[in-house]
Amino acid sequence: MPIQCSKCTEQRAVLKRPKTGQSLCKECFFIVFEEEIHHTIVSAQLFKPGETVAIGASGGKDSTVLAHVMKVLNERYKYGLNLMLLSVDEGITGYRDDSLETVKRNQEQYDLPLKIVSYEELYGWTMDAIVKQALDRGAKLLNVDKICTGHNADDLAETVLMNVLRGDIARLRRCTSISTSSGGEDVLPRCKPLKYAYEKEIVLYAYFKKLDYFSTECIYSPNAYRGHARAFLKDLESVRPSAIMAVLHSGENLSIKESVKMPVQGTCGRCGYISSQALCKACVLLEGLNRGLPKLGIGKHHRLHEKLLSQQPLSNAEERKLKAVDF
Amino acid sequence: LAAAALWDVLGILLGGAELLFDGVKEHHVTLPSQSEPWNMKQLLVWIGQNLLKERPELFVQGDDVRPGILVLINDADWELMGQLDYELQDKDNVVFISTLHGG
Amino acid sequence: MCQVDEEYNGLLESPVASSATKKCNKCKETTAALVLKPGESLCRGCFKEHFVHKFRAMLGKNRIIFPGEKVLLAVSGGSSSCAMLNQVQEGLGQNAHKKLRFKPGIVYIDEGCLLGQSTEKRQKTMAQINSLFKMTGFPHHIIPLEMVLNLPPSVLEPVHLATDDPAGSYKEAVDHFMQSSPVHSVDPRVDRSELSALTDATNPQLIAEAQTQTLQELFSRVKTLTAKEDLLHTLRRHLLVSTARTEGYSKLMLGENCTRLAVKLLANIALGRGAQLAVDTAFCDPRYGDIVAVKPMRDYTAKEISLYNYMWNVPYVFIPSLETKTADKSSIQRLTESFVVKLQVDFPSTVSTIYRTGEKLQTASVTEDIERAPLKCLFCMCTLDTALGETSAFQATLISEQLSNVGTTPMQASLRPDTQTKCGAPCDQQDGEEHCQAQAVCCSHKGGDSMNLESLLCYSCQQTVKDMTSVEFLPQYIMSEAQRRNRRSQIRHEISEFLLTEDGDSPSIKADS
Repeated sequence: MPIQCSKCTEQRAVLKRPKTGQSLCKECFFIVFEEEIHHTIVSAQLFKPGETVAIGASGGKDSTVLAHVMKVLNERYKYGLNLMLLSVDEGITGYRDDSLETVKRNQEQYDLPLKIVSYEELYGWTMDAIVKQALDRGAKLLNVDKICTGHNADDLAETVLMNVLRGDIARLRRCTSISTSSGGEDVLPRCKPLKYAYEKEIVLYAYFKKLDYFSTECIYSPNAYRGHARAFLKDLESVRPSAIMAVLHSGENLSIKESVKMPVQGTCGRCGYISSQALCKACVLLEGLNRGLPKLGIGKHHRLHEKLLSQQPLSNAEERKLKAVDF
Repeated sequence: LAAAALWDVLGILLGGAELLFDGVKEHHVTLPSQSEPWNMKQLLVWIGQNLLKERPELFVQGDDVRPGILVLINDADWELMGQLDYELQDKDNVVFISTLHGG
Repeated sequence: MCQVDEEYNGLLESPVASSATKKCNKCKETTAALVLKPGESLCRGCFKEHFVHKFRAMLGKNRIIFPGEKVLLAVSGGSSSCAMLNQVQEGLGQNAHKKLRFKPGIVYIDEGCLLGQSTEKRQKTMAQINSLFKMTGFPHHIIPLEMVLNLPPSVLEPVHLATDDPAGSYKEAVDHFMQSSPVHSVDPRVDRSELSALTDATNPQLIAEAQTQTLQELFSRVKTLTAKEDLLHTLRRHLLVSTARTEGYSKLMLGENCTRLAVKLLANIALGRGAQLAVDTAFCDPRYGDIVAVKPMRDYTAKEISLYNYMWNVPYVFIPSLETKTADKSSIQRLTESFVVKLQVDFPSTVSTIYRTGEKLQTASVTEDIERAPLKCLFCMCTLDTALGETSAFQATLISEQLSNVGTTPMQASLRPDTQTKCGAPCDQQDGEEHCQAQAVCCSHKGGDSMNLESLLCYSCQQTVKDMTSVEFLPQYIMSEAQRRNRRSQIRHEISEFLLTEDGDSPSIKADS
């Protein structure tokens, strides 16, 4: 016997909601899913009327659903937002080519302006690790007020677990916040309207709405530890589906001893971009290329930052470590 | 107890799950006849033996679907239909969507 | 979302092959008998010294247990709590260096009724425990879990003690103790007369079968092992605290080790106990007021304890629990345990890293002013963590529940969730607590029971109740206290209606404007 929708009590339910255990039909699911995101946006005061908001678009399920729902809600509730898609061309063949094609289709489907920022355009070189920075700088060029990203409840819960496993108390404290305010001249405020949306529902929303999204194995395999955290979270969800919200609730309510030292977030000594080190990742990478030391941008070499900033030469031993390996 | 009937099942793999099946998204399969109706548990075993091309641990775990892979039977969440115990009907449409990669 | 671009690389240790050193790292003379951690090998003698020192140092450093104080050791019969018992025995011994000076007693709670054990089986286990305890000469209490049904509602109210500077009073107590009593007069056996009376009173034969049935009925109403374990943990704690109180103990000593606490910390995060992590894992747990729970074994790993028990023939017994022989995915607690244990194999620093995360978390301060003290959870007695703003996982779940129910149209529930449509009563923005309680009323109807239990519970204990088909078999002391609190909050709510104030307006997007 088919299970009835708990909301309209008429239609056949098509999904069991992991957050609450209730069952919904397709139409009620669409309404409820959108309303919840609307509630998140309103209650957390994520936007102000008249703002230009860039939706970080990768062509994947989360950003595709985000773009769709933002467009729907902006019209339904007259947010008065000026929405656009912003994508970064990382110059990596394969993965990003297809995903960019998806974003380009999304642009037509949702009738939203699209800007693709390429690394070539920004810096003249390519590297995946600085997508975030590229988004910020790209957005800045376009006079964007805010960036919203597709991070969902599962992503945030995974990050909470990850930071507990790594003992990273500084990240643990801020990883559940729904928005970050501007962190300096070059850094735009960011927010996560899908924070309380389960991955399962995002995927089903995209599937039932027949949204066009791109999925593939990310070519950068996540490090073993994050993979473990993800698998653990998915197992938790299968034991008790509400556990993902429980992890988020835990993350939101941790109280950290005041005596625990927190690293101060500073800015890059060269370009002024937000950075926890003396030089930001992009500048280190660039410096490495200029000095003919390609490995400078890989791994941790904060000790050398002061030298780089003051244009001092590196010692022979230091240089040897950072040169390209000859095979 | 008519045991002669064959079960025609349409399996669809999405969200990256198809990569474990040579990139093929749609699989029309006819399950061999058996005295009892096929259930999802048996279907998973059959898929593992007949369709899965690589890294089975990314699709099945124990006798269940790997956590993070959504299953829809005739476009409804299988959690509403008894999951592994669901008895397949002829012409059923089973969709597997991986939620595990790509954001 | 792909999050690999975050910098999470190269920070984690991989297992290091242990270099098998022949000599003990400490005395450099004797052959090492075990590897404590990579690069730290000890001989038997030095290991024992290290183990014993750690126990006394933990108690000495924290200065919480006063000389002459009565301390109740909760012993489950397992390796960790038996090692704790052994350390207390050793520490009280005549030749002990840095002698312990408190008066110990032991308590064992028999949970055989939940495992469907026969009376004979349970008596056999209790006899085994009894002989183990007898050897120590300490007063001991062997109590069947059924006794929890006889607890008074007062057990759920923390008893507030007038405290002055704890450090100062510790010193005073030590001085007083040194003057008034020569050391040898602390005889742990003085309480022997009390002992026989107690053991008789709790003789399993005297437990009415009806009580066993009531407890079994209660647990049969709990749908998941996750919730069963959580409820059992709660009831066991109530029984321990109450036993300590009635028997005149002022401290409760728990045997949880480092590995156990790391698992508990991670499991508690998954259970929604983030706000309570520190109380649950710190050395000192003050939530019950007069009875302070301490965890002297928290610096030992499970491996260390097993090795010690094995090498020094510390007796312990294997007592099956709810989790015994269950699959990895049978409960959140069980899943977390197997996850941590497996990860520890690949990353040997897992347990210590999680444990250290716990060290950096804060214990909620104990407010002395009872009138202004924050509300406590009816079950776990931690500060309620449900008085939260609109943007929180807790509220988001409530919104989801309401929106997925019959009759809520999107416009009604959309923008002003604090208006009449939801609670049926005007909500006072100034009073977040009452506001949230009133909301919880609307979504917690359990089997037509008019009792509003969920609003009295913390987030996690609410989840446990959600996993129950009925709360009718909860022990009477819980139900009575719940009724009392509900009456009190009803009165408070009525009063607050006279004190309504206008709430400030927010400047951001409002959909229906």
